[in-house]
Amino acid sequence: MGKVKLKYFSRIRETIGKTSELVEIKSTNIQDLIEELQAMGEQYSVLKGRDFAVYSAIDQNIVTDVKTSIEGATEIAFFPPMTGG
Amino acid sequence: MLNKIIVAVQKSDFDLNSEMETLKLKTEKAGAVVIFVGKVRDLEDDKLKYLEIESFEELAKSQIKEICDDAANKWDLEYILVKHRFGRLKINDNIVLVITSSKHRKKAYEASEFIMEYLKSNVPFWKKEVADKTQRWVENS
Repeated sequence: MGKVKLKYFSRIRETIGKTSELVEIKSTNIQDLIEELQAMGEQYSVLKGRDFAVYSAIDQNIVTDVKTSIEGATEIAFFPPMTGG
Repeated sequence: MLNKIIVAVQKSDFDLNSEMETLKLKTEKAGAVVIFVGKVRDLEDDKLKYLEIESFEELAKSQIKEICDDAANKWDLEYILVKHRFGRLKINDNIVLVITSSKHRKKAYEASEFIMEYLKSNVPFWKKEVADKTQRWVENS
């Protein structure tokens, strides 16, 4: 698929140890991307959402379905449940 | 569509008096102004050192703008302002300001609550409480 910028926030940022990174990916949806990223290290298992729900945003649009296509995306963000206000 | 919608995601504090003065210049037909301020509170069983608020700024701003547009469509409002802070805040520091204004109070009250409910779990902010004995990411209750 090409290079995409991955962004991490909050607990996910702390676990992965980065705020963002540019990664060459093959996956075409969020679910496959999370699987693909597992090869980069065990810290990426946080994205599987076992301890808390993991949300994602494709080019700054929040998506709820992990099967959502990421084809053509330039930025994908991962973050835990939001706690504003 | 209401064109008096102001949204900001910022590090700096906000000033209620100056916000009111700005509002008055643009809302001569409104008789009600509801102001909600969320501020940092101390913990029940530990002493808070500071609250760290992380944000996905661009997305937060667009999500807030979207909910303000929804509120403007749902209630007949004269003015909506939402300013949400991020960064390191201490006890009693302001976190969020929501101002809604309408001809009569009911719509402004309802819109204010609607916006705050949405902000709690749909806008990308995350709070970390750093206290004397512990530190933890806040979870929605």
